[in-house]
Amino acid sequence: MRDILESIVNMNEDRINSLKRINKPRMGWISIYTPEEILYAAGITTFRITGERGINTTDANALLSNNYCSYVLSCLSEGIDGVYDFAEGVIFVDACDMRKRLYEAWTRNLKLNYSFFIELPRDINKLSREYYKLQLHNLRKSLETHFDLKISEENLSDAIKTFNKSRKLLQQMYELRKSDFPLISGNDAINIVKASTCGLREEFNEKMDILLKKIEDAQIRTGKLKKHRVMMCGSYFDNSDIIDVIEKTGAILVCEDISNGIKYFEGQINENNEPIDAIADYYLDKATCARMLDINKRFEHLYKLIQEYNVDSVIYFSLKFCDTNLMDYPIIRKKLNEKGIPVLFIEGEQHMTNIESIKTRIQTFLETRMY
Amino acid sequence: MIVMAKSNIKNDIRLEQYKNMLNVINRHNHIQEEVSNTLKATRMRSIINSYRLVEAYKADSKVAYVGEQFPTEIVYAFNMQAWNIESMAILFAQSVNIEDFFQLSEENFLSRDICSFLRAPFATMHANCYPRPNIVLSNDQPCDCLAKLGYIASQLYNSPYFSLNTPNEINGESINYLVAQINKMILKIEKELSCSFDENNFKKIVEYSNEAKEYYCKTTEILKKSYVPRVSRELLEIFGLNAFGLKETVSLCKVLYEEALEISQKQNTKKKRVLWMGQAPEGFHEIIKYLERELDIIFSAILWDGTLMSLDIENPIHSIAKRAILFHWHSDRMKENTAMVCDEFGIEAIIIANVWGCRNMLGIRSVIKEVAEEKNLKYLTINLDVMDRNNYAFNQVKNRLDAFLEII
Repeated sequence: MRDILESIVNMNEDRINSLKRINKPRMGWISIYTPEEILYAAGITTFRITGERGINTTDANALLSNNYCSYVLSCLSEGIDGVYDFAEGVIFVDACDMRKRLYEAWTRNLKLNYSFFIELPRDINKLSREYYKLQLHNLRKSLETHFDLKISEENLSDAIKTFNKSRKLLQQMYELRKSDFPLISGNDAINIVKASTCGLREEFNEKMDILLKKIEDAQIRTGKLKKHRVMMCGSYFDNSDIIDVIEKTGAILVCEDISNGIKYFEGQINENNEPIDAIADYYLDKATCARMLDINKRFEHLYKLIQEYNVDSVIYFSLKFCDTNLMDYPIIRKKLNEKGIPVLFIEGEQHMTNIESIKTRIQTFLETRMY
Repeated sequence: MIVMAKSNIKNDIRLEQYKNMLNVINRHNHIQEEVSNTLKATRMRSIINSYRLVEAYKADSKVAYVGEQFPTEIVYAFNMQAWNIESMAILFAQSVNIEDFFQLSEENFLSRDICSFLRAPFATMHANCYPRPNIVLSNDQPCDCLAKLGYIASQLYNSPYFSLNTPNEINGESINYLVAQINKMILKIEKELSCSFDENNFKKIVEYSNEAKEYYCKTTEILKKSYVPRVSRELLEIFGLNAFGLKETVSLCKVLYEEALEISQKQNTKKKRVLWMGQAPEGFHEIIKYLERELDIIFSAILWDGTLMSLDIENPIHSIAKRAILFHWHSDRMKENTAMVCDEFGIEAIIIANVWGCRNMLGIRSVIKEVAEEKNLKYLTINLDVMDRNNYAFNQVKNRLDAFLEII
């Protein structure tokens, strides 16, 4: 089982080389509200811009500011450093003020053959759904014009099926983490989700099929010592050192309510509806991130996960200067407290510079909770 | 020390909130403007503000919390008091020890990394110093978090809430989307407050809005040709007041125009003219006082396309929607507008004020630098926080200002 798991994790680690080898147009994205299905239906390989290689953000700071979300700065740094020069373009979404400025800075200063900016509503109602659908229709038209092709309904339906399959596989994998003795660690889970965004969609689905079969065949892991179950929520997060800190205390990370965790793959697109309508409904129906106004809806979603995953403690991780997550925190904290769920607030950078102080805080919090 | 409200804010009475507000203002009211050195319009605005403030605290007043650049004409059409949660906090900040408020916001787990223009109203609400709203109406201008703050306010006071989602790009689709939202908002207000939207009243309000705007624009025209001390500042205050649609604002703008005209005819001196980009501190802030000794400061917000735009009397909602989109900070539009202002107003240098936590200004400043470079203008970037002194030290900024003044 470990071999196939590592093979999936390696897909993420080798993502740039793999993407370079693909002989198709490739398009980066930064927000989970990017309707990848439409791009895929146009024959485009989609991949998430992760900011992992944008460690030195000096030039990005000059274009934006050093008082900016480090994920946004790291993504722009990757653009400046030419990490994605193989790509045809980038799809931007108005997912927060800083990503809007990222779009402007990127398209003004870096050469892109193609870019598209999707206006994302902040609340979900009939009007905002219609407007978001309009945006998606515009994206479809724009891709058809740029690539001189026709995106058929059949193309869209096939793309929806492929992405739904990935979602289902990821959901099955996360389902296994509900066990008292999960076989998948926190770091494995995050790396698997990241692998699903590295552009190799079919290969990912095939490997996940094998992984899940292997897990099914493996002996059920049991033990006497049930571990303290931790959930992460908040900003974009992929720092393996922090997860190690959590799991070395004897606790286990069982769920991540973040954009490269559950928020990326939850739900399914209705395959029976008109494709663009179904895609729009899917993305807006799962809208529970800090970008959206309805903090109560976000909390209800979070609390449902806490119950489903039998979570003992929550770590609310906010990237420094991630304003929307910082604004939500007082209300989320209050509501968690009302439910008797302890929460630790951690503010950090994408490429952790203050790991030692974070480590101490996590250890203290979890040890207090566990012993 | 400001303390967290002990009673249940959701049900608190306005009188109690008024007393809380007076309490914090009276205890710290040590700043007195030099009356002799102010414009008539400034004194008039102060009276209008005081009147609006007191009215909002009356038990039977209908109060709508609104954000910056919210289309208040709609609010006035319902005979409601528009309570700008951000501007009112700035008003308090001029009178009270704002540090106590920031302490309260931290005690309520709001990060210090958030813009102080948001932390201050957050704390003011938690100190129960604002009048309880009958409804919270938010938009997303100039930032995401102001809309979030509106939502938080609605939770705190258990008030109905409606948010306008303003698209960035201006085209038929985006305007229609916003028009539909505004119409929906009107229905929501009618339903929640059991009142009806008076079309005739609205028409009159739109006329007042346009009349005031006409004087406002004529005053900016005077600025094009002449150095008129304190007028740019007063235009900025009127912009911040965002009370276009009130009859009093027509009088205010008229008085300012007449005063500006009179002063311009007598004024012989001329100072180097700089454009101030970004949020501005109050008029008697040390930075402004220091600069105004040598410079004529034009505040950019008074000349934005949205600020100068009149409404279409035949199709007011459509033009309100268009204006709202124009207000959105958009790098291409801001670049174009700044370039135009530099040319038409004889700008000789630009000051870019990066207010701590204002991600939009921080992100858009490179576009302003482009304009300065293209027009061969000197520019200075200063980092400051006009409300939270923990994020700013005058001496540091002063060094940069001195160097800048020498260069220009």
